[in-house]
Amino acid sequence: MQEIINWSDEFLAGAMVIIQLFFVSLLMVIVWGLLGATAKLSNSRIARGIANGFTVLCRGIPEFLLLLIVYFGSAVTLTNIARSWDPEIRFMDIPPFWAGAFAISLVIGAYATETFRGAFLGIDKGLVEAAKALGLTRFQVFWRLRLPMMWRLALPGFGNHLLSLLKDTALVSVIGVQGILFTAQQATTVNHKPFTMYLTVAFIFLALSTVIVVTMKCIEKYAYRHLEAAR
Amino acid sequence: MPSKPPIISLKSVHKYFGTYHALRNINLDVEEGQKIVVCGPSGSGKSTMIRCVNGLEQHDEGDITVNGHMMTTDEKTGNLIRQEVGMVFQSFNLFPHMKVIENLMMAQRMVRKKTKAEARDTGMKLLERVGISAQADKFPGQLSGGQQQRVAIARALCMNPKVMLFDEPTSALDPEMISEVLEVMTELAREGMTMICVTHEMGFARSVADRIVFMDEGEIVEAGEPETFFANPEHNRTRKFLDQIISH
Repeated sequence: MQEIINWSDEFLAGAMVIIQLFFVSLLMVIVWGLLGATAKLSNSRIARGIANGFTVLCRGIPEFLLLLIVYFGSAVTLTNIARSWDPEIRFMDIPPFWAGAFAISLVIGAYATETFRGAFLGIDKGLVEAAKALGLTRFQVFWRLRLPMMWRLALPGFGNHLLSLLKDTALVSVIGVQGILFTAQQATTVNHKPFTMYLTVAFIFLALSTVIVVTMKCIEKYAYRHLEAAR
Repeated sequence: MPSKPPIISLKSVHKYFGTYHALRNINLDVEEGQKIVVCGPSGSGKSTMIRCVNGLEQHDEGDITVNGHMMTTDEKTGNLIRQEVGMVFQSFNLFPHMKVIENLMMAQRMVRKKTKAEARDTGMKLLERVGISAQADKFPGQLSGGQQQRVAIARALCMNPKVMLFDEPTSALDPEMISEVLEVMTELAREGMTMICVTHEMGFARSVADRIVFMDEGEIVEAGEPETFFANPEHNRTRKFLDQIISH
């Protein structure tokens, strides 16, 4: 217990890092998911091809590996470019936090693409026709009808993605992002109490995922209040 | 005195679904204020025809003119026409996640650019007119089918349309709710609204229609005033159809 208290500042700081990582990736996940889903449902063969390539790639490679590829790939490329300007430069990288957030968002974004696509397909065509018949433009129909209907249908599946996203933030310690897992690894090298330290990490993750589950429940309650009322 | 051009005009309209010939050489003029009832067996192209009028389906040949605008595949023209044409569907199609009054306000705000207060005001007036202003703050799912369809009519009327299209508005309703919807429609007809109604409610047709159009296999078989249509149908197909729906 004393050991946890000794390292509590570091754990707190680490928790803040993964929370930030979570929200930054979440924003990107929503963007990838929306772009991917609209591309897959579009008439353009090129857009569909790109989106299919994206989901095949990002769902097919282990996320741990993708993280390494994104981070070291970008670092090698950046270093080479920088060297052509100044041969003295030895190493240059994208900040690990951003590389990590980006890599995780690609993976979860690929899953979200499929969830959003399914939700878009689940929208009652009659509603879209009704909105069209009222004179709304295609853009207005998308913004005021398709999107609000879509996210409601996507909510249960999306909740799962949020939990995966949270857990994936543990991976980024490998590229040096100082999240809670990184803290635990550092502490272990000093105090040789791996079980206590990793258990602490587990509890922090459990606490954060509980917050997500509860939040999703509240959002669902709001989103489906029209169904609840109609019972 | 030159007569006004018809508000809706279909000239030699054809429509195909793949190889299926859904509309065959449809010609129909509707004058302002006229009420047209379209009937015919299922699959005869009634719905397809009125869906072509507001561009929910695109016709393949011929000309459709609505309120002086020629329907094209261009989205802008389609929107221009749809803004002046109200439509009521068989399955109501109310937006389930919005309250009744919000259903009525959305298009007014998005398309007519009205303020929230103006849109709400118009919405409440129309809900009153269809007799359900008490349900304004409920969700559509909390209403009966008849009430939902009356909301749908009010929602279309909020846009102050020049023409109303009804696509089997009572077919999805329980029998005891049909009359409340027909009453609203009859009232609307009496006020001079131009209407095209696809319906099998022959009582409504007899009392409201200026002209009844009978369709079969994608073509207009015959069209006439209700009295002659019901008393002396010209074609065998019409007679057969009328026998079938009236004898039950």
